[in-house]
Amino acid sequence: MSDDPAIEVHDLVRVFESRKGFLFSEVQRTEALKGVNLSVGTGSIFGLLGPNGAGKTTLVKILSTLLLPTSGMARVLGRDVTKETDWLRPRIGLVLGGERGVYTRINARENLRYFADLYGIPVHERERRITEVLERVDLTSAADRRVEEYSRGMKQKLHIARGILHRPAILFLDEPTIGLDPKSARETRKLVRSLIQDGVTILLTTHYMFEAEELCPELAVLSKGTIVAHDTIPGLRSRVGGDRTIEAEAYGFEDREVEALRVLPGVSKVASEEYGPRTRLTLRMRTNATPIDAVRTALRDHPELTVRERRTSVEDVYLDLVEEEAS
Amino acid sequence: MALASGEVSRARTTVASLRLAFLQFMADPQWLVPSMIAPVIFGLVSFELFRGAGPYFLTYAILGAGMMSMWGQTLYGSGWATGQDREFGTLEPTIQSPSAYLYVVLGRIVWNVVVGLLGGLIVYLVVVIAAGGPPALPDPVAFVLLFLFVMVTLSSVGVLLAAAYVYTRYAGFIQNIGEFAFYVGTGCMFPVVLLPFWTNPIALLFPPTWALDALRYVSIPGYTGFGWGWQVDLLGAVLTTAAYAGIAGGIFHRVERHVLEVGNLSEY
Repeated sequence: MSDDPAIEVHDLVRVFESRKGFLFSEVQRTEALKGVNLSVGTGSIFGLLGPNGAGKTTLVKILSTLLLPTSGMARVLGRDVTKETDWLRPRIGLVLGGERGVYTRINARENLRYFADLYGIPVHERERRITEVLERVDLTSAADRRVEEYSRGMKQKLHIARGILHRPAILFLDEPTIGLDPKSARETRKLVRSLIQDGVTILLTTHYMFEAEELCPELAVLSKGTIVAHDTIPGLRSRVGGDRTIEAEAYGFEDREVEALRVLPGVSKVASEEYGPRTRLTLRMRTNATPIDAVRTALRDHPELTVRERRTSVEDVYLDLVEEEAS
Repeated sequence: MALASGEVSRARTTVASLRLAFLQFMADPQWLVPSMIAPVIFGLVSFELFRGAGPYFLTYAILGAGMMSMWGQTLYGSGWATGQDREFGTLEPTIQSPSAYLYVVLGRIVWNVVVGLLGGLIVYLVVVIAAGGPPALPDPVAFVLLFLFVMVTLSSVGVLLAAAYVYTRYAGFIQNIGEFAFYVGTGCMFPVVLLPFWTNPIALLFPPTWALDALRYVSIPGYTGFGWGWQVDLLGAVLTTAAYAGIAGGIFHRVERHVLEVGNLSEY
């Protein structure tokens, strides 16, 4: 991995304006990115997490030269995305995914041939490259079928094939597994992992936490147009209070019981949530100082109590951060 | 010419786009109706419409129906294809590629010209068969050359429409309101001089008006048109087409910049 950042973003703002009404139209301004700062190293998979409408796709489009920022600076591979698009475009792969974005009445091979020409892939290499990427995304047997006959997962593979056809130095994958069945999603993740071995820097946006945990050693959480956290997975875990999580469920807890849990050694946070008639207390544990039995003891007045311990997931981290931001 | 980093040969982009247009045409049988069947109908209607209208009615019939079958394909085909790019979601990856979108449009225009000419040929054959023989053309070579040039002038307007489709998803509106006015106003069916005088200066802003007038000069003996001769018509057509091509070249770069500012490439 090189020390030079593949992506550098400073105070990036993007405002969208839309008009409402016909005769007396009003301009509505939506601030999709509110001063984003980000740095992504070369040669790794970087995860960008965030709920719907957080600004993930907007950021990806700016970085891939498809959208201009309202203000701020964005550099990819050391080049300004607003001014050096001619240099950047052949080096960027973009996978926006979904049902759209491919010519459905022709086959996958012809789709790739067209984009190979638009990317200026040498003619003598074109067919070999197409065969290679079709094999890589496991579409060889369907390569000569019309894309309109493809399942969503197959279309997604074709999107990825197009994104890597010209061997980009950086690849933007915007929610590549959204809407896929579990088998296709797993195959897509496997493919993404294999790309990193080619030295490609990948920025992956997702709102599937397990996917981010599985693929990305480093993550940023984007919420309402702002980066609320940027760290490695262990770093993010410690940021929200620790690696261990203990969950206790019963038919309601008293305030004194919750307070008793808060003062146990190593407890960094206690959150309460109602589940129908039951209440769940979630404890983030910074250390192993308090064993699970100490929690059972503190809540011993509840005969129907269930207590379990698990590792703090990226989903916990994400929800904590997004909730923190919302509050 | 050595290519700068990231630059893709314009010819290659044009050929790739032409090939894609061909593949999409072949993949969709509904295209047979406007491209192959409509010219037969236009030819027969035009033949009946002009039958007996002077000694050169066959030429009028061929020009009227030929233009009818060619103009829409050539003028609007490329713009409409850009609208389809929006609908398919392929406009974003195409714009994001290193190729200039103008040459993608150019490839489509070449294809549309080919299909338009095929329509023109079908009309010619239908009228000739209906009349039992070919029309008397004073200068067949000039007729063919000017016929081809009319296609070029129609294409120059088509490029601007394609730019409009890149600019906004609402470009179909321009096409819909302008369709009939453009067809009549540029003299595709009847000479423009038959229209009210006030329409003439407007019509002369469009390259096909000049080219069509020149075409009628060389194919219909005694035709007076605007009264300034085919040479002036040809010069006007060349100048207006060059102006349109220049505007298109400049406008595409600005339109691409504008859509990146507005962020409406994925709207359809």
